[in-house]
Amino acid sequence: MLGCYVTGILPRPSELIKQTRAYERGRISSKKLEESFTKATDTVIGAQFSAGLNYVTDGMLRWQDLFRPFTKCLKGVTVGSLTRWFNNNAFYRKPIITDHVKREKDVVKNVTYLDKLPENLFWKAILPAPYTLASLSENKHYKDKTELMFEFAEIINEEIRSLADAGFSYVQLSDPALVYEPLASKLRADKLPLVKDALEIAVKRTSVKTCLQTFFGDFSKILPEALDFPVDHLGIDLYETDFGNLKKYSFEKGVALGLVDSRSSLVEGTDELVAVAEEIIESIYGSNIGEVFICPNCDLDFLPWERAEEKMKVLGSVTKHLMEEFS
Amino acid sequence: MNKLFPTQEVGSLAKPRWRIKGCRGKSLSKEEITEAVNWGRKLGIENLEELVKLLRNGFSLYKKRTLLEWSAKYAIRFFETAGLDVVFDGEQWRSEMYEHVMRNAAGFRFLGYVKSFDYRYFNKAACIDTPKYGKSFYLDEFLLTRENTEMVIKVPFTGAYTLVDWTFNEYYEKKFSREIRDFKRRKFKAKKEFLFNLIREVIRPEIRKLVDSGAKWIQIDEPAATTHVTDEEMELFVESFNETVKGFNCSFSLHNCYSNYEVLANIACRLRNCSQLSLEFANRDSRQIGMGDARTGYNEIQLFEEHGFHGNYGLGVVDVHTNFVESPELIRDRILHVAKMIDDPRRLYVSTDCGLRTRTWEISFKKLKNMVLGAELARKVLE
Repeated sequence: MLGCYVTGILPRPSELIKQTRAYERGRISSKKLEESFTKATDTVIGAQFSAGLNYVTDGMLRWQDLFRPFTKCLKGVTVGSLTRWFNNNAFYRKPIITDHVKREKDVVKNVTYLDKLPENLFWKAILPAPYTLASLSENKHYKDKTELMFEFAEIINEEIRSLADAGFSYVQLSDPALVYEPLASKLRADKLPLVKDALEIAVKRTSVKTCLQTFFGDFSKILPEALDFPVDHLGIDLYETDFGNLKKYSFEKGVALGLVDSRSSLVEGTDELVAVAEEIIESIYGSNIGEVFICPNCDLDFLPWERAEEKMKVLGSVTKHLMEEFS
Repeated sequence: MNKLFPTQEVGSLAKPRWRIKGCRGKSLSKEEITEAVNWGRKLGIENLEELVKLLRNGFSLYKKRTLLEWSAKYAIRFFETAGLDVVFDGEQWRSEMYEHVMRNAAGFRFLGYVKSFDYRYFNKAACIDTPKYGKSFYLDEFLLTRENTEMVIKVPFTGAYTLVDWTFNEYYEKKFSREIRDFKRRKFKAKKEFLFNLIREVIRPEIRKLVDSGAKWIQIDEPAATTHVTDEEMELFVESFNETVKGFNCSFSLHNCYSNYEVLANIACRLRNCSQLSLEFANRDSRQIGMGDARTGYNEIQLFEEHGFHGNYGLGVVDVHTNFVESPELIRDRILHVAKMIDDPRRLYVSTDCGLRTRTWEISFKKLKNMVLGAELARKVLE
């Protein structure tokens, strides 16, 4: 199986940006703002379809950051101060864990435009992985972050099952903290089995395909341990990963190759990406090719919408070429 | 400076409504004109009737330029009246610290808004050609400030590392796309070349103009300094600072805030010709009066000391993100607490955490007045 999809929050198209700013300044009502979100959601879903992506998301335009729906919705969590989002000129609000964390209602489903997702396409949902969510929270309640990670794993599991019931067939767990160098260097190899155990909990008794998407860091640093993680696919940020180290391993699991750079406005050439993808696929799989997805290395919302749209077309075109090569 | 605990601001001051609307060619309400007159009287600005006449005129390029000058004069007098020892013009000429530079340099194109957080965005440029010097971007404001004050002038200057970090790097990434296969190495090499070309072509020529026109102290603003905390990136930051200031007969300082000071402390000693580190602490501190345990916000000074930094500190004693007005006693205690932590109290300049542009003039004025009083109280204790 060769396919393509996006891996995170999509940028808000300029008209929506204008409306969100007007809303902040008290110039439009929340109803009017909601209309703009709905309209923009149509645009970003339409663009994914036109680009030929195999799975579509609703674009997550309302998500202020990867954690916010959880930070706002879960009991025991409050919205904290602005904090730098890894090494970006972008910020998230730190989840502050003040009490036992409890999920009383659906989190992701309630912020997703389910009625906008086309019935004839596969749906993908994107959630924070337990490790990243625990790492970037401020823990004022649990014994340690490991205990918090396992608590989140249970919640993510309930979320995945609810999303599966709603019709999603693919769930990505975003786990940048696992590979981001300043954090990853503190993550000793003996912690990786705990990350794996938490993932076991997160995906237990679920029927959807799952992917652990890493970004902002070198995926090869968590090899070979990650090859045993209980997910179907492993997502790799190729703009942070040492190609040479990656190619030393052979994979049985599927991969999501982050070949399009969400943090650069330069639109990649299809030929170059096809060549790099072929090289990596042949090297990690030999003759027994697993499931491969072509994707952006991280959330496309580091770009203005128009550029993100162009980059989605590159995803579609690279995938098409690869399908021809490998068929 | 001979005086113990000289006081300074960091850079920006809010733009008055009459300046914003006037420059956009919008007509002003009676209240807005009154506001200009009231502040003008408070600050002892002369020929106010000329400003009022100008504000009532229709839009023209002449009006825009003249209004920039007026608001700069207001800001200079604002800082002087508050009693500061080191002043500038509140960055009244600049739309914003990033965009102002990029719009005046050649080789860039603004691509549109990208998310910073929540419903806040910033207009991000892409480098699409070799950066070239376009129009001078800081000289006019410096010359006007020099003409209008006898105080020590510190020119805030957006650093090259931050400009590069906040800009898409299309030109150089494309340039190295054939040469370097590995994406990560390609991006780093491209960033490095962009950075040093920007310093050579745009940053240093402007510094040259400022220094030739008599600038004695330039503050390099680098909010992005510790965005990438790897050794390789921090090395790049050090090199960029040193290359920026190399060979100029001028004093330089570094301003950095809301950052990772553990990482900054590690490299601070290697910044050449950096006479002062202007840092944000008040934001991290308690509001309780006293020294010792009450002053946890200043613990990180210790890191800089341990790493052997011997320069001066621009000590942030005023939080710019709150309307809480620090009392002179609280400011005094913050200063005295840090004075005890270091070998020589003369290394302390008393400062705001960052520019005051998010506060109203009323609040900013109260905060600065108290800062000056607090420094005076601290001085009395030690002298």
